[in-house]
Amino acid sequence: MTATSSDQELDLLVGRMKAAAAPIREVLREIHARYAARDEGKVADYIPELAKADPRWFGLVIATVDGQVFEVGDSRQQFTIQSISKPFVYGLALEDHGLEEVLKRVGVEPTGEAFNAIVLDEASNRPFNPMVNAGAIATADLIQGRDFPERVRRLAAMLGKYCGREVYIDNSVFMSERMTGHRNRAIGHLMLNFGMVSPQIEDSLELYFQQCSAMVDARDLALMGATLARGGVNPLTGQRAISQTYVKYLLGIMLTCGMYDYAGEWAFRVGIPAKSGVGGGIVGVVPGQFGIGVFSPPLDAKGNSVRGVLACQELSTRFGLHCFEQDFAGPQLRDMLTPARAAKVNHTDGRATAASADAVGFPVEP
Amino acid sequence: MSKIISTHSFRGGTGKSNLTANLAVLVARAGYRVAVIDTDIQSPGIHVLFRLDPSSIKHSLNDFLWGRCSIQAASYDVTASAIGQVDESTDRPRLFLIPSSINAGELARILREGYDVSRLNDGLQDLLSQLRLDFLFIDTHPGVNEETLLSIAVSDSLVLIVRPDQQDFQGTAVAVELARKLEVPEMFLVVNKALAGTDFSVLKDFVESMYRVDVAAVLPLNNEMVEMASGGIFSNRYPEHPFTRELKRVAERILKPVPQPIA
Repeated sequence: MTATSSDQELDLLVGRMKAAAAPIREVLREIHARYAARDEGKVADYIPELAKADPRWFGLVIATVDGQVFEVGDSRQQFTIQSISKPFVYGLALEDHGLEEVLKRVGVEPTGEAFNAIVLDEASNRPFNPMVNAGAIATADLIQGRDFPERVRRLAAMLGKYCGREVYIDNSVFMSERMTGHRNRAIGHLMLNFGMVSPQIEDSLELYFQQCSAMVDARDLALMGATLARGGVNPLTGQRAISQTYVKYLLGIMLTCGMYDYAGEWAFRVGIPAKSGVGGGIVGVVPGQFGIGVFSPPLDAKGNSVRGVLACQELSTRFGLHCFEQDFAGPQLRDMLTPARAAKVNHTDGRATAASADAVGFPVEP
Repeated sequence: MSKIISTHSFRGGTGKSNLTANLAVLVARAGYRVAVIDTDIQSPGIHVLFRLDPSSIKHSLNDFLWGRCSIQAASYDVTASAIGQVDESTDRPRLFLIPSSINAGELARILREGYDVSRLNDGLQDLLSQLRLDFLFIDTHPGVNEETLLSIAVSDSLVLIVRPDQQDFQGTAVAVELARKLEVPEMFLVVNKALAGTDFSVLKDFVESMYRVDVAAVLPLNNEMVEMASGGIFSNRYPEHPFTRELKRVAERILKPVPQPIA
């Protein structure tokens, strides 16, 4: 047993060194440096806690399905997950009730309406999809538990399985969200009026404010993405975060509805199932390969992180990560995960290889 | 195309820094842009051989690893002291040194806090492109630690220095195993400080069979080098010395392109 575990120790160390030496780091650094210079966008300020974010923060992380993590920039800066929690909570609702029951409460149609619109499907009274606030509140309402604390615990534990660590709720953000969440309360009560949510809607609204206030960093987002990319199993802990059956539904909803009013163009141009939040995070999933986590607080007019969108866009076009890409002829990101030696990269004019062995001149004392 | 060469010994006192400095000079003299980076952060010393005055070191590798400067700001052109006058109209040969800090506070900080080892790789890649290097020598810390393993992981070539000593032999086996795990494309041994009276070819065969790694040279214990007491580059002062001739064979090995795996 000792031999096995020391072998594993050695493999882990060697793996970590290979990751540190992998050319993908160069790619991420280059993309990071390019977009760090872009200073468009505006940090969300609808609650004071969000407005405190430094607009220069920018973290970019890729986590592979076999547990390699490549991070550059402010990858360990914590921020609130906000809307990025929505697909994951939807996954928990699917596990609690099954697909058909959940579909009775929340649709899966993209909407051209704003994410916080007070509008329901006129025929069914359902919110259009679980990524708009109405749908997310109806989804939170479906989370089971003996009492409110247990529902919160189950939700936090679910997020923790994706991140591979314990996830905490930021109390000051939570308090701000609930103090200013009049619009969300209105949405909740409208749905209660139509009988689409349970009488415990006040608790469910609290749960929704809690889920938005979970603290994560870009590395967590990449691991959450990698967990979905791997069919629901966290690549670092080996722990299952969601039943394999439901992963495709999460990815489907992320691809069609994950990027607010940019969702259509995102699916068209970038083609990576993704979800963004007003905290400045974006989680992306390249199924079978890796998760992407980006964090940078300045948002564009549609509410998506400016640098996050640019970074994902470049990764997608440069490495053919669009989910409908076939026979991509360019470089593959998965080939850049192990060290490429300098001799394979052309930095200079090739003199080193042209040199003959007898070129060593006799030294002369200076 | 540039080549990264790590020089390593499992134990201290093998003459690693001296050999690294001499090899870097011999390779640069062949007409190349060469840099030596001292990743022996815990016990730096190679700057002495290049006569780089500690008071003239404004930034060191430590500053780069803490994010306080670019790696280029921590690199010093030591061509004049290591090679002498060169033709200024061409950009080769050149020799650069990236020293580690010998400030006690900096050493303490590294030991206490550690650093993100992947940043070291970022620095190595930046050096290759910014200084347009043909060869980059990494003088590693003896034994196994993170910067050593990272250095081996990014290297095209690993030179392991070993003395004919049982402790060295055992430790080197560990280094060889790690290097194989890290899939370094080229690895060879240099036996240093062999005692006069030893049959060098027997020693060479013995060491090669022990590790299944080529021995590029067996270097004798060198009194003149001891007398120099790291006061300069041996091969500059003793260009015709048998030790220098053997060293050149190692430099020739380094100058050869790395065998590429068949795709």
